[in-house]
Amino acid sequence: MEFWRSAANPWGQDVLIGVSWDLMWAAIIVAGLFFVGHAIWIKTRPAVEPAPTGASAAGLPERIQRHSLAARLFHWTMSASMLVLLGTAFVPVLGIQFDWVQIHWIAGVVLTATIVYHVIHSIGWQDFWAMMTVGVGEGIATLKHIMSPKAPPPPKAGKYPFDHRLFHHTIVVVGLGVIATGLLMMVRIDTPFWTRNPYMLSDSLWGVVYVVHGLCGVSLIFLTASHIYFALRPEKLWITWSMVRGWIDREHYVAHFDPEKWVVGEAEDAKKGSIASGAVADASVSVRREDT
Amino acid sequence: MAEKLIGTDIAPPDLIAKITGRAKYSEDFRADNMAFAKILASPMPHARVRRVDASRALALPGVLGILRAEDVPQRDGPREAVLTDEPHYEGEPILAIAAETEQIAAAAIELIDIDFEPLPFVIDPLESLRPGGPNAYSGGNLFSDDAWSEIKWTAEDFAEIDAGRMPNAEAVVEWSKGDVSAAFAASDLILDEVIVHQSLSHHPMEPRSNMAYWENGKLFAHVSTQSAQRTKYAMAGMLDMDPEDIVLVAEYCGGGFGSKISGSTIMALPAFFSRKINRPIMHRVTRAEENYIGRARPGFQSWLKMGFLSSGKCNAIDLYLVEEAGAYGSGDNGTAGMVADLTYTPQNMRFRAVSIYTNTPPKAAQRGPGGAQIISMMEPILDKAGRELGIDRLEMRMINAPDADVSFGPRDSQLTSVHAKEALRMGAEMFDWAGKQSLSGQRVGSKVSGIGIGLSPYTAGSRGFDGLMLISPEDGKLHVHQGIGNLGTHSIADTARPAAEILGLNWDQVEIVWGNSSRGMPRSSVQAGSQTTHAHTRANHAAAMDARRKIQEVAARTLGGAANAYRMDNGVVTGPGGRMTFAQIAARAIELGGEYDGHTLPDDIHETTVPAATGLAGKGLMGVAKDNYGGEGGIYSWVAGFAHVELDVETGVVEIKEYVGITDCGTVIHPRSLGAQVLGGSIQGMGMAMTQRWVFDPQYGVPFAKRLYTARPPGILDVPPNMSWGAVGIADPQSPVGAKGIGEPPVGAGAAALTTAVADAMGGKCLCRTPLTPDIILAELEGRTRAHGRLDMHVG
Amino acid sequence: MAIIRDMIPDFDLFQPASVDDALALLAEHGREAWVLAGGLDSYDWFKDRIKRPKVVVDLGGVAELNGIREVEGGLEIGAMTTLTEIVRDARVRSQYPLLADAAEHVATPQIRNQGTLGGNAAQDTRCWYYRSGWPCYRAGGNTCYASAPKAMNREHCIIGRSRCVAVNPSDTAPALIALDAKMIVRNERRPNVYDAEDFFIGPSTDITRMTVMKPGDLLTQIHIPAAWANANFYYEKIRDRGSWDFQLVSVAAAFQVSGGTISGARIAVNGVAPYPLRLEAVERMVIGTEGDEAVATEAGELSVLGARPLRHNDYKIPMMRNLVRRAIRSAV
Repeated sequence: MEFWRSAANPWGQDVLIGVSWDLMWAAIIVAGLFFVGHAIWIKTRPAVEPAPTGASAAGLPERIQRHSLAARLFHWTMSASMLVLLGTAFVPVLGIQFDWVQIHWIAGVVLTATIVYHVIHSIGWQDFWAMMTVGVGEGIATLKHIMSPKAPPPPKAGKYPFDHRLFHHTIVVVGLGVIATGLLMMVRIDTPFWTRNPYMLSDSLWGVVYVVHGLCGVSLIFLTASHIYFALRPEKLWITWSMVRGWIDREHYVAHFDPEKWVVGEAEDAKKGSIASGAVADASVSVRREDT
Repeated sequence: MAEKLIGTDIAPPDLIAKITGRAKYSEDFRADNMAFAKILASPMPHARVRRVDASRALALPGVLGILRAEDVPQRDGPREAVLTDEPHYEGEPILAIAAETEQIAAAAIELIDIDFEPLPFVIDPLESLRPGGPNAYSGGNLFSDDAWSEIKWTAEDFAEIDAGRMPNAEAVVEWSKGDVSAAFAASDLILDEVIVHQSLSHHPMEPRSNMAYWENGKLFAHVSTQSAQRTKYAMAGMLDMDPEDIVLVAEYCGGGFGSKISGSTIMALPAFFSRKINRPIMHRVTRAEENYIGRARPGFQSWLKMGFLSSGKCNAIDLYLVEEAGAYGSGDNGTAGMVADLTYTPQNMRFRAVSIYTNTPPKAAQRGPGGAQIISMMEPILDKAGRELGIDRLEMRMINAPDADVSFGPRDSQLTSVHAKEALRMGAEMFDWAGKQSLSGQRVGSKVSGIGIGLSPYTAGSRGFDGLMLISPEDGKLHVHQGIGNLGTHSIADTARPAAEILGLNWDQVEIVWGNSSRGMPRSSVQAGSQTTHAHTRANHAAAMDARRKIQEVAARTLGGAANAYRMDNGVVTGPGGRMTFAQIAARAIELGGEYDGHTLPDDIHETTVPAATGLAGKGLMGVAKDNYGGEGGIYSWVAGFAHVELDVETGVVEIKEYVGITDCGTVIHPRSLGAQVLGGSIQGMGMAMTQRWVFDPQYGVPFAKRLYTARPPGILDVPPNMSWGAVGIADPQSPVGAKGIGEPPVGAGAAALTTAVADAMGGKCLCRTPLTPDIILAELEGRTRAHGRLDMHVG
Repeated sequence: MAIIRDMIPDFDLFQPASVDDALALLAEHGREAWVLAGGLDSYDWFKDRIKRPKVVVDLGGVAELNGIREVEGGLEIGAMTTLTEIVRDARVRSQYPLLADAAEHVATPQIRNQGTLGGNAAQDTRCWYYRSGWPCYRAGGNTCYASAPKAMNREHCIIGRSRCVAVNPSDTAPALIALDAKMIVRNERRPNVYDAEDFFIGPSTDITRMTVMKPGDLLTQIHIPAAWANANFYYEKIRDRGSWDFQLVSVAAAFQVSGGTISGARIAVNGVAPYPLRLEAVERMVIGTEGDEAVATEAGELSVLGARPLRHNDYKIPMMRNLVRRAIRSAV
């Protein structure tokens, strides 16, 4: 397997020109194996009852608002652009040729715009640092619980479970990598706003940009596929639906969340400004403070 | 009575071999155990070799060795070496590999692990002149007094340039004559123009392939060169060896156009490599390599101001040239200034120039160097003046062309003879200039006619070389030993004809000995600058007069009577004492010895003629002499070219309908050969003006148009079926034969006839750049934006 | 690896005697095989050591690919028929002079003697960045050098660019489109018949190929339908010099005329797009007209709608417009 592609530049120097498309296949295969493995693991693992919580259903509405309409539209805009980006990037590599560049860059601009919105919003209107925090103890407990069903389950999370936060941070890194390099690559194409200039960076620097873009791109194949896989898993459908409908029902709230960390109802206002760790963004959506 | 030879057509002695393919060019030779060399060329316009690992290449079966820059002499400054570790243009040879076959050598080159450090480069001299602009060499962009320096113009200079005006910028070359500003003040019309002439590769048909081997300390070199005797000495200089230890074989040359004058730098590669690995080495140069290591005509970016009186007389010229000097320099600008002054006789002129090193393939004289460019550039401006002043364009040339009393250039140079006006008159008549005036600007369908005229001078001779010839006792024939090259111009034969005529011989009684230095070559001119016809008709005239005297004396000493009473005709000497054949004379000369058979040589012949003549001593009656006819002033020939073109205004395509070229080149020696030179040179000029091009990518500094189909020298379908030529035929008074050279001047005439004809078809609009390809013509006609700046180079 | 040009590297040469054998070889060697027709495109690539096939399948010995046959509904021309044969063929000259005219505009007599119709149609682009071995999109790299801000792109496209801006260099291709020729492409599995205009593809379809043909495919015949026999034809090629030169812009057109009006038209232009460009809008516009100067002018303007020049090829817009005008003028 090759990791990257190189070529002799016009001066005969070996320069990187991108990742090897073998990596695309690797990402697809790894994702496939992971899903099959995970499915088998879930099937063979003894069912774990959610630990009882101190939460009481009393006083809670039947439907607990989880994502506002704006947040949902925003999530789906971003997912659509991501899917378009992945499709326009990799379908031609699979052999189905079409004029992908324009669609790709426009989708990239849409994605960038949503991310910019998300970043500004999360910094300005949400408790940014609280969202970004991932506890080590929480991680160890989660890992132990995964390794052995006998281990005690990790403490319940606030609005966003541990795995969601971890996934988010991975996406942040990979997404920023692909967006930064993608935006840089925009100077190499003609748009209505400027004429292309492939010579802004040297051949070898461009090679690095292409490799980073490609590595992030193939990573996103895996990450996006995982996201979709978990979203479609039967035991997770209730939370997937919340991204469509906006709410979860009271029972799920009580079963899965720590009401101290995700305060619902009248207590909410009191918590504003000092939200506990755990109330971080969903895997790939922004969470507006007023959602909670 | 022997036939008259001067002024009649003959078949040159190399004709059949060339037509049948028997002629052996340097790459056709094979030596026992011969190996092949291939070069690794620089991929960058300016770089330094950081590291070379040739171990894998040398391990390839069949590979015999490597030649590196350290194996060949290197010189400081912008001086070319056979191989270099600091290339200054893409394609410059870095190293060579020798192998049993070319295929192996090429495969081995690919196995070499080589690392170059790219260095700053420049391909447009104006860029190098900009404040802070890049230099072609690490030391600077100007080399004088054996040191590098930098010349940069100021931001103010470039503000002037950007405004389309001549900058008052620092020049490297500057001269003036008369009172230029007063003359302009007195001018009734002043034209101010920005003109670009492209740079273009020579692209002779035969690339400069060479083969060499060593035997017993002697070098045997098969070389593609324009010259012969002088190439041997150039080779000796490159190898730092005794010239008499070189056997140089150069019988045929498939063109050079100035790029192989005394050979070329790369011709020493097989000699060095052969000496290193002790095998004969053939280095076949490919077409793409020829594009790089062959030479190129430098381009000019220029500002021209011309002042005219209402009479049409040009009274002032202010000319500023920026010359693209390539990696190793160029001197075309100097000639350009001289030719401008000569052709338009302004009496008041300022000439300024800078010649800037660039990282483009090396420049060299190309047929009419400097002159062809400036004539192609300035003739449309003269036409413009004629239009504005309401004076016929032919008349403008008659008014401004020089007569025999001309003095021109910074040193007020004189000429031996000038018959430019006769050429113009004769051409106007043959072309029907007056009758064709009605065609000018006439539109039929989408085609508009244009009529053009170009008058082009160039140097056409030199003096003082030696002639060497022998009458053989075996066949009684005259063997004329030529040290000039066989460039395809027939001059090896044509320059021998005065000798045959002096000795009363028919052409079949003359053998030309050429192309192999071991057979004896007298001191000769280089085959360049159109020197040979003039220089070597004189030298052979002198040697034939020497032979004639000796024949008469041998006859008189053998048969009795006064020597000068003996007459010779058709290989027989007849006089008071009876008759002798030339064979008998030659045998008798050997018996008499001394000066008659070359055992005693004249004191004044060149030292390099002596070994050649000594080698021939005792083999017959020898005629050997230096050209002592003397003379004063430069020797220039002229060509007046007339063209009728049709410009298709819907496509920008120009079709040349008719061309007439008339030359003033003194006595006509060989009409058919002369016609080929007048028209062939004109066609080369047409290509220079219209089709041929050289394009560089500015980002990487490398040329495209590397091969003939992209470089586009003109083909037979690009020239009119209706082409004719003529010669004024007035002898040059300072030569006993009266002939002047012809190679160079037709190029400027052919080019200018077209630049002026196209401008005429466009209603007098001068695009003022070459080549005049359909794209720029159509863009102009359609009023569309120009793709490039007025001064851009290398855009084709 | 140091670079050296102008020396053909080794390859395995196969010289099949039948189409079936040739197809079997192409199937066996897949991407490593190169089809050699007249060699005028191929040897350039080989010489420069840029395209380096392991296997070359020389079609010179496949007799069934040679010659021009009259078949029902038209002429069938073997892909290996030389351009000279096409120029000289009496049937082509009398019924389809457009094709003879186009073939005669190819390069030089020597090249036409060696070059084949199939090879001419299927040849690769002459973009000099690509042909210099630079790692451009078409060569599998990640940039187009020819459309960089200061690039030398006078010969490149004004229409249909998609990352790559190279043009199709074929002289016969637009004529084949104007004649509604069918291209018969075989591989080991089956024959495919393509309309000429679909045979040529642009970079948006596949940036590394100029035609629909993939490894294993072989252009075997070109069928010229009788429907356009003896139509009014127009061919013009603008080039920098009179021979041995590719087009700047060329136009090929066929018109059927009845009662002084144009009843059918097929017009194709080459040198303006990465593929020979059929001008269907212009065809529709001129049908039913007399092809007078006003129509011709309008057709010319219509043909260049949406054309977008690069730095050095703006001239192609008026050149294409004027050639289309001329073609329409000639129709009736």
